[in-house]
Amino acid sequence: MFYVSVFVQYMGQYMKTKLQYRADLFVEWLSDLMAQAVNLIFLLVVFSHTPLLHGWSRDEMLFIYGFFLVPYAVFAAFFNLWDFNERYIVQGEMDRVLTRPVHSLFQIILERMELESLLGAVPGLVIMVYVGSRLSLSFHWYDALMFILLVVGGVLIYAGIFISLATISFFADARTSIMPMMYNISSYGRYPVDIYHRVIRYILTWVLPFAFVGVYPASYFLRKEEWYGYAFFTPVVGALFFAIAVMLWNAGVRWYRGTGS
Amino acid sequence: MNIIEVEQLRKEFKVHRSRSGLVGAFRDLWTRRYTTVRAVDGISFAVKRGEIVGYIGENGAGKSTTIKMLTGILTPTSGRIVVNGMNPHQEREKFVRTIGVVFGQRSQLWWDIAVQESFRLLKKVYRVPDEQYDRHMGEVIEMLEIGSLLDKPVRKLSLGQRMRCELAAALIHNPPLLFLDEPTIGLDVLVKLNIRQFLKQLNERYGTTILLTTHDMSDIEALCERVIMLDEGKIIYDGSLETLKEKWGQGKRVAFTFAEATAAPPLQELTVGLDVVWKKGEQPNIWVAHVPSGGVPEVVSRVAARYPLQDIRIYEASTEEIVRHIYEEGAVHG
Repeated sequence: MFYVSVFVQYMGQYMKTKLQYRADLFVEWLSDLMAQAVNLIFLLVVFSHTPLLHGWSRDEMLFIYGFFLVPYAVFAAFFNLWDFNERYIVQGEMDRVLTRPVHSLFQIILERMELESLLGAVPGLVIMVYVGSRLSLSFHWYDALMFILLVVGGVLIYAGIFISLATISFFADARTSIMPMMYNISSYGRYPVDIYHRVIRYILTWVLPFAFVGVYPASYFLRKEEWYGYAFFTPVVGALFFAIAVMLWNAGVRWYRGTGS
Repeated sequence: MNIIEVEQLRKEFKVHRSRSGLVGAFRDLWTRRYTTVRAVDGISFAVKRGEIVGYIGENGAGKSTTIKMLTGILTPTSGRIVVNGMNPHQEREKFVRTIGVVFGQRSQLWWDIAVQESFRLLKKVYRVPDEQYDRHMGEVIEMLEIGSLLDKPVRKLSLGQRMRCELAAALIHNPPLLFLDEPTIGLDVLVKLNIRQFLKQLNERYGTTILLTTHDMSDIEALCERVIMLDEGKIIYDGSLETLKEKWGQGKRVAFTFAEATAAPPLQELTVGLDVVWKKGEQPNIWVAHVPSGGVPEVVSRVAARYPLQDIRIYEASTEEIVRHIYEEGAVHG
């Protein structure tokens, strides 16, 4: 409860900060939307040349991509950890975080949130509605709940992986280039996994489960029943990876406090 | 009652030693050589409630490491720490609610939002009830004279203004113990005075215990009755500032400007029996007597009775000089 109220307070302050720079905010939104639009057009062009891939139609692949954008946007809004090493370890901001009576990871998430990234979900929703109507998919009332559950699962998977990566900074003082590499790998989850080699499919499912952020959950809405098992497994994988990440984080903080910087 | 108790506290760091040259760099890839550095080497001390203690030492003497252990940021290698009746690194989240920390080189406040908004966030983080906040912070804001700054964003404040706001931010939850790491670094004289005065008031009114590190000896002189001096991770002096000055102040220097040029032998003869060393001044008619404390009146009266004088000046070693002298000698003997 305390954490929720702190969260709300931070959110309020965040809004105020953003509203201070009105022009800035406007330009940012505009450029974000434009970037998303370009992305969308690019996708349509690419997919228009690949009508059918391993039994997935163009529209289905677009739908997967559309779905992926939603958890990704939520992740990008709240888990802005890509410069964690630089900001918190090298510059020593971690010390300040550790002198406050709130869990350190929670504080960093709050300090670094970028709510405007949530806009990235809009094109995703547009794509899903558009493709969904073309594919004449049927929706039930409980699909809305399912959608939320699967999105949360996807966010937790992303968060889990990137928190675990950030944890490396506690142990190694050198900067690593793993973070950008992981962003690249994560994009593989946006495409149907059965187009990949067995090994890659295995990795994307069980090692770096990015497939659970794109294909698997999306196939639930595409009514691909052969993937349902995986789709329903999404929240479980999310919870698992997130829990592991938090444990790693705590171990990292313990280590950091043992060694200093 | 002791608010800080430290016994045989030790902190070791493993430092990677890189070999020189390209070959060395390759060898480092395989086997890394580490040396263990003792940043804090078995220190013990206790601080009573309401004390203001100056924690001084050269760069790298282990001051910051000690503060980080006392505030729960770092875990000690060995030794016992009890602060506010708790073990800082074991019960971090509960413990930090009972301390305030100001790092002079690092900001507690959010850069983009108004000062009072930062305060409000911290109030939430420290779970301070409205009524307590209004009463306590009202006083703090008044004492620090930052009322007019509250609605400005931090990025628009000068360093001095920001520092005063930082202090207020560290006191939001009215902690009984305040750690200040270089609180006056880079500030101008007026702001320094203001901050010192505030710290004194805080100490008197709320009985806040204060532990501060500083390189500015005038901070120590203005605030601290007690100093703990650290060198290479060990405590080399722990006691009152007065005693430090008396014992290691090495007396006073008296500069006599004579009406005419004089030589050393007659002067030495004059002060026979007194522990005085004469040294030549900048001009032939200036001589400086190094006199142990307490001996000044006797020397002055003897010289003045014998020679016509133009001027007499008495110099006392400043705390800064004393401290520098102690560092140069390496340790305080006795």
